[in-house]
Amino acid sequence: MAYKRQFYPGATTPAVNRRRYMDPKVNLKKLRDVSMDDVVRIMGHRNPGEDYKTIHAPLDENPYETLCPIRALVKPIEGAKSGDRIRYIQFTDSVYFAPISPYQRAWMYLSRYRGIDTGTLSGRQIIEVRERDLEVLAKEMIDNETFDPALTGIRGATVHGHACRLDENGLMFDGWQRYVWDDSKKEVVYVKDQVALPLDRKISVGKPASMSDLQKRTTIFRADGVDMRDDKEVSMYGLRIHKLRTLGGYQPFKVKGV
Amino acid sequence: MTSNEPTVDYAGIPLPEVMIMTNRLLKAETTEKVLDALATVGHIRQINMTGESLPKTINSGPNKGLDNNHSERKAIEFNGKEVELRHLVGAFYLELDVEDEDTLDATVAGIKEACDRTIPFGYDLQVGRYSKYRTSLHDYRGA
Repeated sequence: MAYKRQFYPGATTPAVNRRRYMDPKVNLKKLRDVSMDDVVRIMGHRNPGEDYKTIHAPLDENPYETLCPIRALVKPIEGAKSGDRIRYIQFTDSVYFAPISPYQRAWMYLSRYRGIDTGTLSGRQIIEVRERDLEVLAKEMIDNETFDPALTGIRGATVHGHACRLDENGLMFDGWQRYVWDDSKKEVVYVKDQVALPLDRKISVGKPASMSDLQKRTTIFRADGVDMRDDKEVSMYGLRIHKLRTLGGYQPFKVKGV
Repeated sequence: MTSNEPTVDYAGIPLPEVMIMTNRLLKAETTEKVLDALATVGHIRQINMTGESLPKTINSGPNKGLDNNHSERKAIEFNGKEVELRHLVGAFYLELDVEDEDTLDATVAGIKEACDRTIPFGYDLQVGRYSKYRTSLHDYRGA
């Protein structure tokens, strides 16, 4: 019997959203259109229009390519083919019902993309990819429903803020103020790149979603939203892993029928 | 080691303190309004504020040392003096100069009224003692 891939248990909204974000067959909704040049400006790795810097010769110019069995097996991504540098983008997700949280970002990235390296921390998620592939990925992640202008931050360093109270405009705290609230347009605009270098011009990332909308979109279980304990299947799944890991660590003979 | 000494001299008795935790981090402008409102309430001996730190310069990463230029890191005016804000304020600690419960209750009611008028998005207020009120042996210790 062919194995049918499963993603996440549960029937509550956060559980369903986790499944949706992870499933590569689901096309995520596009909510905004930040131009590619602006995405490149916010990341700050190169100037728009500038050539990609390389760290090795293009693969098709490499005489040893055909001798490598791994290269025969794995189809390279575009950036690897051209020898691009590996660059990064890092997102910070607020605990106040951000559309996604760092751990699910890792699940989503690994489930949807090839040729990436991602790292999870409590409030942020870094993703490292060959530069030209990173730009495509970054644009998708800024444009789609996993990004909210107020509660998701693009922060390369000093990411502090994900667990802080929001400010008066409802924006996640950022000590470096990379983005500000434009009161006339009711939009969030980036004024600094992800490592706080001031941008030549402001880049709008659109209007923040309402709290009721975010509660429908989030993957975060919270006592004041959907409590994880209210989802029986999710609780049992967590308990099962906990039990298997604990018993497996010191009394593996007790792992029976778990 | 940073000094943990009390900010003002010991009053002779441990005085009660009011802690106000705001639901949102306040703009400099709102902080000024809250302080002005609190200034009209009597029996407040000292006000300390804290919140999320706003660095003067970029403190890490490739642009370390660059001016941060955070719009909320600025001087506000209080009681005719300029106060340099270094935080996005989210908490106020008010030491009350009261000696009986009736004065305490009246002062707390006045503080609540001032906060209701000036703090948007609500706050949490508690009466207790949250900071050190006299120097201790620890403050005489070397680094």
